[in-house]
Amino acid sequence: MNLKTKINLISVSVSLVITLLIFSLIILLIGQNPAGILSIILNDVFATGYGMGQTLFKATSLIFCACGLAICFHVALFNIGAEGQLNAGSFVIALVAVYFADLPFPIVFLFCLVSGFIVSGIFGLIPAYIKIKKDVSEVITTIMFNFIILALVNFFLLDFFAVKSTMRTEKISENFMLTKLSDFMPFFSGSSLNVSFILALAVAVISYILIYKTKFGYELRAVGFNKTASKFIGLNVNKITLIAFFAGAGLTSLSGINFIFGYKGFYEMGFSSNIGFTAIAVALLAKNNPIGIIFSSLLFSILEYGGLSVNQQVPKEIMLVVQGVIILAILSVDKIVNNYFERRL
Amino acid sequence: MDLISSIVSLTFIAQVIRLMTPFYLGASAANFSERGGVINISIEGFMNLSAFSFAVFSIATGSILLGFIMAIAINLLFSLLFAYFTVKLKLDQIVTGVGFNLLSAGITKFLMVYIFKSSSNTERFEGLPDLNFFESIPILGSIFSDYITIFTFALIFISGFVLFKTRFGLRLRSAGENPWAAESLGVNVRKYKVYGILISGFLSALAGMWLASNQNSYSDGMIAGRGYIALAAMIIGKWKPVNIFFACLMFSAFEALEISLQVSGTDIPAQLIQMLPYLITVLVLIGFIGKTRPPAADGVPY
Amino acid sequence: MNTVQFKDISISFGSCSVLENVSLNIKSNSVHCILGENGAGKSSLMKVLFGMYQPDSGEFFINGKIVHFSSPLDSINMKIGMVHQHFMLISDFTVLENVILGNEITDGLKINFSGIRSILSDIINKYNLGLDLDSKISDLSISSQQKVEILKLLFRDSEILIFDEPTAVLSPVEVKEFFKIIEEFKRNKKTIILITHKLNEVKLIADRVTVLRKGRVVYEEDITDCNIDLEKLALAIVGESRVSIAVDKSSENLTNEIVVRLNNIDLYKNSVKILDKMNLSLRKGEVLGICGVEGNGQNEIAEIITGLEKNFEGEYKNKNVNVSMVPDDRISKGMISQFNVGENIYLKNGKKFIASSELLDDFSDKTITEYDVRLTNNKASLGSLSGGNQQKVIIAREISAGNEVLIFSHPTRGVDINATAFIHSKIIEERNKNRAVLLISSDLDELISLSDRLCVLFKGKIIRTFESDELSSYKSDNKVSLTPDIEIKKEKDNQLFELLGKLMIGMAD
Repeated sequence: MNLKTKINLISVSVSLVITLLIFSLIILLIGQNPAGILSIILNDVFATGYGMGQTLFKATSLIFCACGLAICFHVALFNIGAEGQLNAGSFVIALVAVYFADLPFPIVFLFCLVSGFIVSGIFGLIPAYIKIKKDVSEVITTIMFNFIILALVNFFLLDFFAVKSTMRTEKISENFMLTKLSDFMPFFSGSSLNVSFILALAVAVISYILIYKTKFGYELRAVGFNKTASKFIGLNVNKITLIAFFAGAGLTSLSGINFIFGYKGFYEMGFSSNIGFTAIAVALLAKNNPIGIIFSSLLFSILEYGGLSVNQQVPKEIMLVVQGVIILAILSVDKIVNNYFERRL
Repeated sequence: MDLISSIVSLTFIAQVIRLMTPFYLGASAANFSERGGVINISIEGFMNLSAFSFAVFSIATGSILLGFIMAIAINLLFSLLFAYFTVKLKLDQIVTGVGFNLLSAGITKFLMVYIFKSSSNTERFEGLPDLNFFESIPILGSIFSDYITIFTFALIFISGFVLFKTRFGLRLRSAGENPWAAESLGVNVRKYKVYGILISGFLSALAGMWLASNQNSYSDGMIAGRGYIALAAMIIGKWKPVNIFFACLMFSAFEALEISLQVSGTDIPAQLIQMLPYLITVLVLIGFIGKTRPPAADGVPY
Repeated sequence: MNTVQFKDISISFGSCSVLENVSLNIKSNSVHCILGENGAGKSSLMKVLFGMYQPDSGEFFINGKIVHFSSPLDSINMKIGMVHQHFMLISDFTVLENVILGNEITDGLKINFSGIRSILSDIINKYNLGLDLDSKISDLSISSQQKVEILKLLFRDSEILIFDEPTAVLSPVEVKEFFKIIEEFKRNKKTIILITHKLNEVKLIADRVTVLRKGRVVYEEDITDCNIDLEKLALAIVGESRVSIAVDKSSENLTNEIVVRLNNIDLYKNSVKILDKMNLSLRKGEVLGICGVEGNGQNEIAEIITGLEKNFEGEYKNKNVNVSMVPDDRISKGMISQFNVGENIYLKNGKKFIASSELLDDFSDKTITEYDVRLTNNKASLGSLSGGNQQKVIIAREISAGNEVLIFSHPTRGVDINATAFIHSKIIEERNKNRAVLLISSDLDELISLSDRLCVLFKGKIIRTFESDELSSYKSDNKVSLTPDIEIKKEKDNQLFELLGKLMIGMAD
């Protein structure tokens, strides 16, 4: 094991311990028993097929979204616009599936994948393009685009496409719904876990290979590490940045596949419940490594599902606090551990 | 016609000026931090936290003053933590900002349910007392009816004075422009960065409290992106107090317009009006009203 | 009387020793020049005096009293001021704001602008600085910016003034102006420390000179009436052990075919003219040297040829050839420090989309053996290698790209002697392969021994070109290097040295 992996492991585990301590402290402060709460969470998540299925279902969307963000982050630019990007793509995915209900499933599905990817991708492309052409911080433009996209989707949805007096599109054809994993693994019965999860794992593996084992990945990371040197080495920095933001933002649209094709069958305002932001934390925790993202997504979905299972004892919103603590803990511990090793070397 | 007449009315103008208050406070909060070279995208979170703690402590103690003091104290602590991360540990300011926004939202949502057993609203409370000094003057009376709005107007001049006419301001700006040069002249750069962040915490606390006081309660998600609009106003205002004021006026005019639209029930979709501030920000940034330039070392950990 | 006394000062960064037992006295009210090559320790010594570095051992005295500086503030309080090589100015601030920062005179809360103005105007008049207090730094020329730095020191009543290579960025006229200011300082009883590597300046202005080499004081001399043995001084700077460069040039396959041509190129950056009607042609099978003080347009020429710079006027002809470049600053422009050797090579030269570990190992092994890269672990990131080894990897990468045109910008800067010799042999090898080589350097030795033709660049213009026959007529021997007799070589070389030196700073026709 090389030093870097060791440092990463140390800082991840230390920050998880810190988070656990803060979590326990809060539980104690509100007069509950941390051990008891933890055991309820673990029991619910791991002891029941339903709990596990729900956890993996929630992880699916996070994996898609965080992998997309990881690709963006590798060029050392921020993308805080995933929330908007994934909503734009998902909305289009639902519309395509609803309006081409007569076509055979494979064609519609492919069409949905492509159109969702492109729409989300374009909303990633625009801030990157503005960054390159006008040197305007992508941080601020992606934030602004979140609001712009959500308002636009909201407008088109409510004024044109929504089912009367709801905030959702019509349902897609029942034949289009993705197979639930419980169909061939009864263990998961009742949960929304569907084949998107397999797709998510595949996306993570492919993203990993793309980032770490291909020419494009090397170029991507080179641009992220040192833009000037990349230019001198002869890389087309702008092109690489644009591709990364298009592809990264495009991937976030797959969260919509999980929700629409795998669960509800329609697009609904607010379906994403901030996974575009949570995914930032997920990607950071995994150091933008897609394989790591599988695990950090699991952690975050355990937190979310676990929150539901202890809601009787502790408001489930405590898990939002925990998520915030995790991201700050990993950031600071990582820095402190790195500083420590730097001084010793 | 209704709409037009309601827009040109004096009450509309008074409304615009009143709604400007949280924007300007938030934008000034961001500005003091960025002038010192620290990008603070967690203004939204700061405002949220103070709105909540103001409500909680006002309700719990029955004293608006105590609520006021506690909200400021908590925000100062929160900004001290932010300073520890960004100045002491030199963490990436954007990521830290995202983390603080998540944390702030998490804390308030959690405590809302825990304390008030509701995920949406606190109970109502009185809010900041009115100032009756200008009461007899027609429009001024309605604009200057609360202390924070008056302070906000004063702030336009105060922040201009502090930033450009005082030793503190010169040093704060030097920390944001070229910390290496400042340090070579014996300026304690990190100290000034921390001061900038603390001022940021204080001003965003005022902004949050004004919002809570304005609706006499705290409700989940009530900041509704105002912290981000404040950032946009700061950028459009080119980090200059007076320009920021006009940018904030523009944004508050949109908000007032949106409210009038909802009241008058016209066909213009509210979502599109909601979208305008953000769209305009992007257009401005692309260069429709000239180049904006942040402090040279803005966002550079030092 | 000694104003500053250094006693056995040592400093090291990690295993690299920067200053070793340096003892040095600086007399009050004198101009003391400190000379030495890049990395000799001049700047480090001054940073000790300015409180930016703390010595590992040794002590120093100001006006006879021992002092310990933990920050520049301590030094400023002892009336020491320093003008850094890279100015410490805030470009968005006005002259006035820059000058008073850290030393603001206030009147209550408010800065006392009118009081400060009158103080500053007096200083500006006294030293004839000709500055407008309200102009923004970003609008000022380099020499005016330097004057702002000087004004900063004067405003603080500094008695000991340190200048780190003050004339490197100035034109000859501006240099003269600067020297006038220095003389004015002396008249006002100030002590001036000047870091430089220009010998003629030492002759003109210094009262005493100290030469540092590899962190040690190797030479000291008092100068009276501009009387100084420049030869001796030069030898002290470079050291006797100077390795001449083994060059084995074949001239058989010189085809003389022009592959790249710049015709009347004008280039502006931030409305400052960088290139001025530049003409240049590069031929196959030659090393074309570009000689000049840095910042006269060298980087821009390289960037136009590589295609990185496109906003120029004039004609750029490229005979459909690809260009490789070894940039001047390897850390920021040359490499991805986080990648290892194989990855850095693959990044540019890899043809396959999938980066298998065999492929990367292949690139890595080949480079390490062919270029004699010394490293403890083949997977070590490039950032952890020594400068010479990093440079070898960069050169390996650019050469193995197999392009017809190669640009080397300061290829041996900060590189040890062995690596330098190796890099030089590689450059000549490429030339002998009938490639066109553009060599940009400020090392005259390197330029003279490697170049087939040599252009002198001054203010964005080629002011003189030495064709190959003229160049060889200056060289004592065509096989320069193999001459062990330094004295003989030096005589004739020195003529060229001196001529180039003058041309570079615009002091000859």
